[in-house]
Amino acid sequence: MPSLIDIRRRVRSVRNTQQITKAMKMISAAKLRRAQDRALGARPYREMLRQILENVAAEAAQNPDAAANPLLAVRPERKVLVVVVTADRGLAGGFNSNLLRLAQTFVNENQDKELTFELIGRKGRDYWRRRTRAIRGEHIDVFRDLSYEKTWPIADSIIERFEKQEIDAVYLFVNEFKNVMAPNVTMMRILPVELPKTTAQVDYIYEQPPEELLANLLPHYVRTWLFRALMESVAAEHAARMAAMEAATTNASDMIDKLTRHMNRVRQASITREIIEIVSGAAALE
Amino acid sequence: MADTFQLEIVTPTKQVVNERAEYAEIPGKDGYMGILPGHAALLSMLGDGELSYRVGGATNKLRVTGGYLEVRDDHVRVLADKAE
Repeated sequence: MPSLIDIRRRVRSVRNTQQITKAMKMISAAKLRRAQDRALGARPYREMLRQILENVAAEAAQNPDAAANPLLAVRPERKVLVVVVTADRGLAGGFNSNLLRLAQTFVNENQDKELTFELIGRKGRDYWRRRTRAIRGEHIDVFRDLSYEKTWPIADSIIERFEKQEIDAVYLFVNEFKNVMAPNVTMMRILPVELPKTTAQVDYIYEQPPEELLANLLPHYVRTWLFRALMESVAAEHAARMAAMEAATTNASDMIDKLTRHMNRVRQASITREIIEIVSGAAALE
Repeated sequence: MADTFQLEIVTPTKQVVNERAEYAEIPGKDGYMGILPGHAALLSMLGDGELSYRVGGATNKLRVTGGYLEVRDDHVRVLADKAE
């Protein structure tokens, strides 16, 4: 049976852990709010860009040559690039493992294709490094002050490979920020670009020919998409960590309660034993 | 006719400007464009340069780099890669 001192030591250790998890939870909550604000701040740009693209695409579609934009080319998917966005750090519940599982499933189902990897985030890199040699790009530490300028080169290198036909399709695996409680693991195809359908075409004056605009817009659209995905991932990461740390803090509380009760029982037992000893000692003297 | 239009300047990270303006001078890819209320719908790429706009008689200036310009109905939208 553990002695009183042992139990007391455990309680202290659990309490220390709890303090850490509580602090981490609070930090994540603060960071989450900032990340959420940023993700929200990026929304108008994205919406407007999509609207413009819709219109330009519809306009350019009237000219069959324009439909030949390399980023729209649908080829049989033989060489596929898998882009996996994970966090740089762990301790975020199932945040990384759920995503990696989804990506792994995709890889298993597409063994017959030539897969290459582009990994964003340390956890994903560590995972695939042990499993594949086909890593084309690793990007670590992009999440700490994530900026548009930082994601730009990543997107451009992907676009370039697509244009050179080194890859036929690009799939992106990312944790989407749905709500605070659970991140939403998603897979989406970013290349070839699927043009959004126009709802209401506006008759613009085109300062540049629509084809030229389209050729300029498409890569931009992909870049913005990647940037958005990364921002969402950051928000989702903080949300996931916050939830995980919340759970850990609660568990620590439960454990402290249990240990304290146990400790009291042990103490009571030893007191009872002592009393019995004294009483029986006194009885023996009579 | 309205004498102002809604000027929105956004970058990938945030909305920089969102207010009623009377006039805007915007660096298009092929030269500066002056925009007054009631302008016809227009799409253009953005050049690098100084964007100025007038709100209530006061002129504000911003440096913008690359992006797009959309004029439509009562809205002038500038999607810049950078604006400061």
